[in-house]
Amino acid sequence: MALKEAIELLKKGHAYAKRTKYKEALGYYNRALSLDPRCAEGLFLRASIYIDTGKYKEALEDCDKALALNQNYSDAWSKKALALYHLERYDDAIVASTRAASLNGNDVNAWYIKGVCLDEVGRSDEAQEAYGRSLELEIILDIQAESKKVRK
Amino acid sequence: MRQVPETSMKTEMPLSKPIRRFLTQTEELLDTEISLLRQPEAEPGGTLVDKYTYDMDTNVIIFPAQYVGLLKDFIIAKHCTNLLIKGAATEKRDYKIVSYTEDSVYSGLRQIYIDALKDEAKKEKKLPVQKLIQMLFILFSQFNDDINELPWNAIMNASVYHRMPKIRKTQLYHIMKESKNDMDEMIEHESIIPRRYFVLDKAMFYARDMFLAKTLPADELMPVLNIPQMKKFNHLEVKEMLTTRWTHTAWYQSKVFGDNMLAIIDKPLGQVNWKVDEPTLDYYYDLYKVGVLVTDNLVSYMTMRDWYVWEPPRHLLAAHEKKEEYEKNALKKIFGDLITDTWEDSGS
Repeated sequence: MALKEAIELLKKGHAYAKRTKYKEALGYYNRALSLDPRCAEGLFLRASIYIDTGKYKEALEDCDKALALNQNYSDAWSKKALALYHLERYDDAIVASTRAASLNGNDVNAWYIKGVCLDEVGRSDEAQEAYGRSLELEIILDIQAESKKVRK
Repeated sequence: MRQVPETSMKTEMPLSKPIRRFLTQTEELLDTEISLLRQPEAEPGGTLVDKYTYDMDTNVIIFPAQYVGLLKDFIIAKHCTNLLIKGAATEKRDYKIVSYTEDSVYSGLRQIYIDALKDEAKKEKKLPVQKLIQMLFILFSQFNDDINELPWNAIMNASVYHRMPKIRKTQLYHIMKESKNDMDEMIEHESIIPRRYFVLDKAMFYARDMFLAKTLPADELMPVLNIPQMKKFNHLEVKEMLTTRWTHTAWYQSKVFGDNMLAIIDKPLGQVNWKVDEPTLDYYYDLYKVGVLVTDNLVSYMTMRDWYVWEPPRHLLAAHEKKEEYEKNALKKIFGDLITDTWEDSGS
């Protein structure tokens, strides 16, 4: 019962997060996680809010907790890479984004963060490869978004 | 002041190294702040809302929500360049854009009407009068928008290409996309618009594309990009890609106008040194002057000198506020009292 309630709270929080109502979203996520502290998705969602509000250390902690529960959680690896980028821990961010991209090859954010961080540490050739993959995926997303607009 | 919608999302976002540097340099050179904003419904080419144009303290670069990586970086680079040009011209108390007045609207609408009548005389199926009258100001505004955008677009792209080699492939995709959108613009109204203006508008974009194709010749989209929709451009260079496209349009038979406009754009821009190591505000002011020259020459070539005036941006904002009044008065001068009924019938 508590788990079901936690999922409902996460859904409500996510709806607020989409409208950039971060404070309200965080409130719902906290309540959900107090009911189910081992909810990896809840931890991931809260990490996203922390990223969007500039709390990168807290985001990293939540990502690590989510990954301790599920080592193959690709979105959490991707979010962790983003938190590490903001904390200027580029080498660690490269490891996290590489893991994210290996779990989900279509994660445009992971490839982009990988490129950015490789560039930051002077590994330009590898950065170009990651950027290339990121660009391919971004273009596909763009073409899809444009087609949706036309259909509307 | 133009408000940024509340539904937008403003975050600290990751940026590639050259773009982060360029953003910082732009802020330092202009002693200003730039915010980045992701919006689901943003224009594909992004939008710059800046303090040199609008009454506001900061500058905002807005881009579509799906641009999360290099596409976003390219939009930022392009608009930072634009901001530097505007800021440099403002610093010299010289920043002007192409605006219009009541008299210039009359000149423009009258000329379009005369040309439309010439076209109509040759047509079997005549355009309803109401539609013809409505078309006049729409076309006038379209040229105003395009002439304020197109020369700067060529300058921004050329500058970004030379300053940001790491995002060239992204830029190429963007140019291909933008070119397609511009090529398609007006096509659905081809039968309504007087031929002369349809040709001139397409010629401007053709010239811009051919200038960029000449400026960006080295890179190919393949093999790094492996996207089904891009396959038809496999192994083609930019010039070939853009030329192939234009040759498939009905407009192409009139390409002599486009070639003349290419010469107009190419001559001053061909003399610009795009590879200055540490560009100063004076450098960007020089780019502004080149843009003004290109704009002037294009306006002259299209014989629209009495349609538009060079004025500070707030003049154009004020003109937009009064556009219905200007349009109505111009139509009254052209058609006399006959227009009153038509105007009221159309609900304007």
